[in-house]
Amino acid sequence: MILVNEGAGKTGKKWISGIAIIIGIGLLPFLFNNPYTMSVLIFTLLYAYFALSWNIVGGIAGQLSLGHSVYAGIGAYTSTVLFLQYGLSPWIGMIIGAALAGLAAILIGFPCFKLRGAYFALATLAFAMIMKIIVENTHNWLGGPRGLEITLLKNAPWQFQHTHKLFYYGVAVVMILAVIVTTRWILRSRMGYYLNAIKNDQEAAQSLGINVTYLKLTAAIISAVFTSIGGTFYAQFVLYINPEKIMGSHLSIQLAVMCIIGGRGTVLGPILGAILLMASEEYTRLYFGGKIVGIDLMLYGIILMVVIRFVPQGIYFPIHDLFSRFFGNRLAQEKVSLVDKAH
Amino acid sequence: MSILLQSILNGLCSGSIYSLIAVSLSLLFGVMKIINFAHGSFLMISMFFSLWACRYLGLHPLVNLLLVPPVMFVIGYSTQRFLIKSIYEKESAREPIGVLIFTTGLWIFLDNLFLAVAGPDSQVIQHEYVNKTLILGDFFMSYTQIYGFSASIFISLLFLLFLKKAKVGRAIRATGQDREAASVIGVNSYEIYNISFGLGMAVLGAAGALLVPLYNVYPQVGDVFGLRSFVIVVLGGMGSVWGAFWGGIIIGLIESVGAQFVPATFTEAIIFIIFVMVLYFKPAGLFGLESE
Repeated sequence: MILVNEGAGKTGKKWISGIAIIIGIGLLPFLFNNPYTMSVLIFTLLYAYFALSWNIVGGIAGQLSLGHSVYAGIGAYTSTVLFLQYGLSPWIGMIIGAALAGLAAILIGFPCFKLRGAYFALATLAFAMIMKIIVENTHNWLGGPRGLEITLLKNAPWQFQHTHKLFYYGVAVVMILAVIVTTRWILRSRMGYYLNAIKNDQEAAQSLGINVTYLKLTAAIISAVFTSIGGTFYAQFVLYINPEKIMGSHLSIQLAVMCIIGGRGTVLGPILGAILLMASEEYTRLYFGGKIVGIDLMLYGIILMVVIRFVPQGIYFPIHDLFSRFFGNRLAQEKVSLVDKAH
Repeated sequence: MSILLQSILNGLCSGSIYSLIAVSLSLLFGVMKIINFAHGSFLMISMFFSLWACRYLGLHPLVNLLLVPPVMFVIGYSTQRFLIKSIYEKESAREPIGVLIFTTGLWIFLDNLFLAVAGPDSQVIQHEYVNKTLILGDFFMSYTQIYGFSASIFISLLFLLFLKKAKVGRAIRATGQDREAASVIGVNSYEIYNISFGLGMAVLGAAGALLVPLYNVYPQVGDVFGLRSFVIVVLGGMGSVWGAFWGGIIIGLIESVGAQFVPATFTEAIIFIIFVMVLYFKPAGLFGLESE
């Protein structure tokens, strides 16, 4: 259903499926109306959102960033510290955090974008590690390795808190729609074509007069701002943050993995990747978790290996091919060539 | 002053083992251009093998040096031959992101496999050799440190000599420098990759055997060393095995001498900051060739 929308192009079908998606998203929480499933649903949306944010730099611009937990951490910590110290609403803290994350993206991107491939990946990973160590060693404001707890206010939507999960679900849906619209806009704009050119051959792009550094930095800033907002959302949803969860290498790698497994550079790929990994993680934890320690993560690792072995471009492409074969959609084919199957 | 000298001695000892880990990673990085995120996990495996050999077979910890590397060679060779090769073939022209994701999966899988098999607790080996120390005036060093240091230096030098002189070693270097050109003169690059992976794991096995008397063994022990060895390899210069060797010594020294001046938890941040500065000012690494 969702995939038809992606391929339907300019026909009337697009609107029908679009409306169907919106109704579907609206109905989902009522289908699974218990707190546990709602939590899983919200986390899936959040990670899909994170993966889509990562996609702007990692997929569209083709820069394998492993430092995105820095931005998520900045978002989570800025809003939380401002709330705890000055009673500032996390909604405002979120905006300040996003601004700081954008600034951080410039500071990190400026030296790192000089580097390529594996060097870039490792340099950004180093920034993620530095950030985590700094936070772990700042006990006064940031709580050190123990993290920060956010005061429970029960129903306070203006303080980004609510006892009903539907509130968070709604916010997450709005966030994910925002990042989807932005991604589509980038893909169709001049910037998207430039970034695609940089991804495929940076020297060639440069020789055609594309300002490579400027464009990469712009992509990094957009991506960082979105990621940081996700960090604030995480803090407000879980009401507890610590450096282990929201900073460091694990979250960084997880975001990249979700996007790559799903399909880099596409709109639906990162969402599919997040759904696959989150669903399989929750499912195995639920059914095997108690029996053997670590079996859920073992299966998670196996899924990563199997997917990358058989569908190295991400699960989006085979699913998309399947759908377009069923619906015989010509326009769908064009779309695939646009997002670059990385040949 | 003597505290400083003592910390330098300690730094040299841990640094030499870091060197060994980094040398093995550097081989994979330099020859195959892959980021092996499962490197720490393989180290963890070789540490567990050494631990089990001591505990259940009653072997002396130093005998592991002869036992673990061949086992790790077979594991490494098979991993490359049966698992990574097919992924690598599909994208050898591009940056190997597939291998990165694959080894991430392998990393998560292996860590949790050993969590299930060996349990989450830290384990140490019980052997009289572990507790002996040598006292020289103001300084003291444990025998495990001294053996660790001398064995790491010896193995590193042996390995460097092998790469320089032996026929297979020269073929490995040729493949790393230019795969196509190496193929033209009859080097089977995929076989070289298998052997390189195997050799890298064998050196890692030696490092694991030397580390076991010095560190606790637990399923996540590889994470600490894995990420640090990336830093060392890039610091020393990618593909430069000598660079990895010196990089390891430098990191060991920074860690132990730095802990005299700042909180120990902060030395890691210093390492990463130096790393970023080197990347920025000299991306080829301290000992790397400018052309890379």
